[in-house]
Amino acid sequence: MLDFAPTEEQEEIRKLAQSIALDHLRPHARKAEAEHDSPNELRLTLAQTGLTTPFPEEYGGSGPLEAVTYTLIAEELAYGDPGLALNIVGSLMGPLTVWLAGSREQQERYLPTFGDSTSGYLQRGSLAFAERTGGYTLADIHLQARRTSDGYLLNGTKRDVVHGQRADLRVVLARLSEHESESPEGKLCAFVLSGAQEGLSIQAEEEKLGLQAAPSATYLFNQAQLPAEALLGEAGSSGVVRAATLYQILRAAIACGTARAAFEYCSAYARERIAFGRPIVSYQGIAFIIAEMAMKLDAARLLTWRAACSWDRGEADETLIHEAESAQRQAVKMAQAATTDAIQVMGGAGFMQDHPAEMWMRDAAAME
Amino acid sequence: MIDFTLSKAQQAARDYAHQVALEEMRPLSLECDRTEEIPESFFWNMQRRYWGGAAAQARAYGQDEGVKQENLLSVISQEEMAWGDAALATAIPGPGLAAPPILSQGTPEQQARFLSIYMDGQLHWGALALTEPGIGSDVAGMSTTAVLDGDEWVINGHKHYITNGARADLIVTFATIDKRLGREGIRPFVVPKGTPGLIVGRIEKKMGLRASQTAELIFENCRIPKENLLAGRGEKKEGFKAAMGTLDATRPMVGALAVGIARAAYEAACEWLREELPAGYPPHKRRAWEEELKELGQEIEMARFLVWRAAWMADRRIPNSKEASMSKAYAGALVMKATATAVRITAPGEESERKLLIQKWFRDAKVFDIFEGTAQIQRLVIARRLFPNIDIP
Repeated sequence: MLDFAPTEEQEEIRKLAQSIALDHLRPHARKAEAEHDSPNELRLTLAQTGLTTPFPEEYGGSGPLEAVTYTLIAEELAYGDPGLALNIVGSLMGPLTVWLAGSREQQERYLPTFGDSTSGYLQRGSLAFAERTGGYTLADIHLQARRTSDGYLLNGTKRDVVHGQRADLRVVLARLSEHESESPEGKLCAFVLSGAQEGLSIQAEEEKLGLQAAPSATYLFNQAQLPAEALLGEAGSSGVVRAATLYQILRAAIACGTARAAFEYCSAYARERIAFGRPIVSYQGIAFIIAEMAMKLDAARLLTWRAACSWDRGEADETLIHEAESAQRQAVKMAQAATTDAIQVMGGAGFMQDHPAEMWMRDAAAME
Repeated sequence: MIDFTLSKAQQAARDYAHQVALEEMRPLSLECDRTEEIPESFFWNMQRRYWGGAAAQARAYGQDEGVKQENLLSVISQEEMAWGDAALATAIPGPGLAAPPILSQGTPEQQARFLSIYMDGQLHWGALALTEPGIGSDVAGMSTTAVLDGDEWVINGHKHYITNGARADLIVTFATIDKRLGREGIRPFVVPKGTPGLIVGRIEKKMGLRASQTAELIFENCRIPKENLLAGRGEKKEGFKAAMGTLDATRPMVGALAVGIARAAYEAACEWLREELPAGYPPHKRRAWEEELKELGQEIEMARFLVWRAAWMADRRIPNSKEASMSKAYAGALVMKATATAVRITAPGEESERKLLIQKWFRDAKVFDIFEGTAQIQRLVIARRLFPNIDIP
């Protein structure tokens, strides 16, 4: 039955995430942007709340993840700072993909270090999705995996891999063709890479337009030979699709949080700023821009929530892919417009680094 | 709990309305648009299948599920009706736009007296008369007056753009009881059809929604009983403000109609690409259109969710002016984009019924960005709700 209200429990978790976003993310945003990473104290604080360990208790987590709940959390974190939110979510996607797509044995091997109550927060995961030839849609995944006598041979690229360089757990999405003759578009699958992988070159992405607080890397695979146990679960399984679509949904939520930050910030500015004797928001030329922002943010958020609901209901892969990709496309587009308009509302001040609006506009542009 | 799945009642309302739209509306659509007439048989079929059938069924289901959901059920079926034909949807027998002010502003006695006439199984309509030649959204300048003379109100004035104005059995007419009071002096009155002094003027020729009847009404010393003033219920007689509040319920309905037309145009354009593509059509152009339609499909989903959310809030009695305006503004802009895109995509090739329908929907669409408050008025409502302490003139 149609319903648009979060549960009381979700509302409490959202509020917790919001207070962390305002107390710990927003104030550290510029520093994190300059240092290209999140401070350890912040990671510890988050780990203590349980927000960053949404996998089963048996692995030290805070309980299995619900997409709707985590969509609310991701929006709040991005409302604090988009770069730090992606830093956190990007790391999380590593263990989450193992949990969603891996075998029991693989879960037991990789998850407990992330759930460890004293050192888990220092662990970084990563999920390599986008490639040099495309963006964040499943149809753009071409990294080629071929079965060999004792494992898999990988060829291709990955870009924008959050924590790609320093990750303790590297998961990559690829396409597996069982035989030489098979079409190049094989089954979607996920591999875990070990520390030093021959045939893999990792290059840090140093000069980014935005989202610098989420350090990222490019992977170049050239005849990289992986052992058989590197494949997570089975190729073509729903688990991989669920992991990939979850990342898309959370990226959509991050875009919504970015837009909301920009919307609220420029609203406050427009309320205070006086021009020709009146607050500038009292002019329709400004008020309508902000009204439009609020409307389109709500529209994209609803689309994101719908995808998250379907994820929680365990809808079919096709449905999940359609809904998650729709949400991501629309939310990112909306966030780009909202952050750009926020600067316009603020005029010259928006262009200055004294205010975060210019950073958010670069962040939103870097979400493609 | 956040949930985007339809309940049994909601799905049933949607399926039923879709079937009615497919069988009763689509086949008549182009002919009614050409002649600007609707055959009597349509009204009877709708009386039987919709007002008596779907609406009653939906009410029963809704009660079964134990939650108030008449606004949600209504927007769900309105989308399907507009998918069939938005002009015909406005002509479905029933109290229509007269119902919200009667329900929110009428005493129980008034509700029973006015709404019972719609329950006899015969053909009846209702109308809402607000707009005048000199005023649209700025109702403070209303010139229609109502003066109490003994036991009767005497109404004088000129209303236009009144949907179903010439066929309505009851016309909820807004008039001022004291021009010096501005908005605060405005009250809703129920004027029955055939009241002496109520004169039906011209029927408008329009760009679109041509089968929908848009009438001019002239009130010349039109006398109605004192008891026909909808004065509000209980202690709080807020009169005008509360009456305008009914727009919060009707805006999502208009949004739902817009979503229905947008979806019809989107589906027809997709089908045209599949079935009517002329030989030699460049494949890269087809791919570009497919990309554009994909985005359009996503925007239609967002518009629908905004409409559903506003209706859901109305059902729960959560104040929803801002959300109602969002749904109307978003859907109003989208329906123009969708129909214009469909016209552009299907320009090449041969004439077909599908193309004629697309062109009709394009003509129908524009008014959805205008009536029940223009796009600009909606943005003003949203902005004023976002900044309650700032005077945004």
